[in-house]
Amino acid sequence: MLVTIILALTLLASPTLAEAHDARHHTQEQRLPKIAPAPGFTLTSQDGAQVALADFRGKVVAVTFIYTSCADTCPVLTSMMAHVQDQLGHDFGVKVVFVSITVDPERDTPAVLKQYAQTFAADLAGWSFLTGDAVAIRDVTRQYGVFASKSANGDVDHTFLTSIIDRRGILRVQYLGVRFDPDEFRRDLLSLLQEP
Amino acid sequence: MQSAQSRRSFLAVLSSASVAGLIGARDSFTQEAPPETTTVRLAKNDGICIAPQYVADELLRAEGFTDVRYVKSTPAAVSDAMGRGEVDMSLHFAAPLITGIDAGAPITVVAGVHVGCFELFAHEGIRSIRDLKGTKVGVQGLGLAPHVFLASMAAYVGLDPVKDIDWVLSPSVRPKELFAEGKIDAFLGFPPEPQELRARNIGHVIVNSALDRPWSQNFCCMLAGNRNYVRNYPVATKRVLRAILKAADLCVTDPARVAQRMVDAGFTARYDYALQTLKEVPYGKWREYDPEDTIRFYALRLHQAGMIKVSPNKILADATDWRFLNELKRELKG
Repeated sequence: MLVTIILALTLLASPTLAEAHDARHHTQEQRLPKIAPAPGFTLTSQDGAQVALADFRGKVVAVTFIYTSCADTCPVLTSMMAHVQDQLGHDFGVKVVFVSITVDPERDTPAVLKQYAQTFAADLAGWSFLTGDAVAIRDVTRQYGVFASKSANGDVDHTFLTSIIDRRGILRVQYLGVRFDPDEFRRDLLSLLQEP
Repeated sequence: MQSAQSRRSFLAVLSSASVAGLIGARDSFTQEAPPETTTVRLAKNDGICIAPQYVADELLRAEGFTDVRYVKSTPAAVSDAMGRGEVDMSLHFAAPLITGIDAGAPITVVAGVHVGCFELFAHEGIRSIRDLKGTKVGVQGLGLAPHVFLASMAAYVGLDPVKDIDWVLSPSVRPKELFAEGKIDAFLGFPPEPQELRARNIGHVIVNSALDRPWSQNFCCMLAGNRNYVRNYPVATKRVLRAILKAADLCVTDPARVAQRMVDAGFTARYDYALQTLKEVPYGKWREYDPEDTIRFYALRLHQAGMIKVSPNKILADATDWRFLNELKRELKG
């Protein structure tokens, strides 16, 4: 009896085991589809370094599109991802990384992106905020199926799409909007860690 | 559902295959494959509940379409235009799609996109659909969307839409105006008509299809295409559907900008009615309901009312293809 209780408490206290259970359950339920090779990109990080999608091969990557002066919906998405970042614990940065690409490269310089990252307590060991020249940004948004258009007042009219890419660089699922279920999002990320 | 299961099985069987081999599989409408055609022609008319279609142009270009055209068409003519191949794909109302298919138009329905377009307005003394018995109900023509929807609604509550309702045909004057003048007792309004009537405080709503069951549980607007287009261009079809679904999400997340874009692009004149429509029509429910249920529901009602001859099962078998939607439900979460 005592052994059972200790085992149960151990299971409850162990996020790794619980996550593994989540991932196994997810895998059994439905494997994520393999949509296509994820479009590659090379952009500039918040630290001024060149960062390519290929640099993350071997890790599960979540790619999303934001801009820092977005007052309403982008903060909802970035906060939600920061929450998932915390839930991923030690896996974050080592096995799972996030990439937020600005759709407003004219205003979102590396320094501005770094400030934005700090506002949301982003762990920059596993989360890159990327900018680039307007053409490069337009190409990558288009390749990921994101529509972005700057309006006269400087706001950017854009669709919200967060893509999950597996360790082999294959696009596996896209999340539409900003109010998707963070638990489902986390389970999808973890499910890809279970794949060979 | 059968095809979704088959695809899951297919993926499971091939899970050990190389990624390149899997992605190259020809029976999968893969995303990386370019569309087989770069042209898509969509319908354009006065109805603004098909807003996702009107703001999908840039998303369609991002999907690889270089020639995105909007073909002017009355709502009544969409099924015919699609059947003749003048419109490749379009959002259109479920009930007239069914009557068009029954009449022989080569149309394939691929998805339900949103519920809740229409509202049934009536004057004092009429509180329910049953109360329409013996009243004057205005429509611009028999067989048009308001007539077909209303006939199916009447059949659902046990009325004979042919005998029990006094249809007032008004091809030149909109029933909304006849209703405002008190010349008819009821009419079925589609955006922006309900928004305008409410603003003018005329009549009252006895059925709101965004709120009242079973209408709120069945798609109002569905994406359909010319049969040859869907059959010959499966990748293009899936890409059109993905663009429309993303545009529907844009209607939910940023209705003000969508309304403004519709006005700027000339799809509608009144920003306020457009914004109200976008806030009232539930554009975010395409995952929640089964489009097959919608086709069966309306086809049964129309069959019961004697307005179609083809059986609902035959329509489902011959004129629907949910594979695109089933794949996108897995690939596009939200």
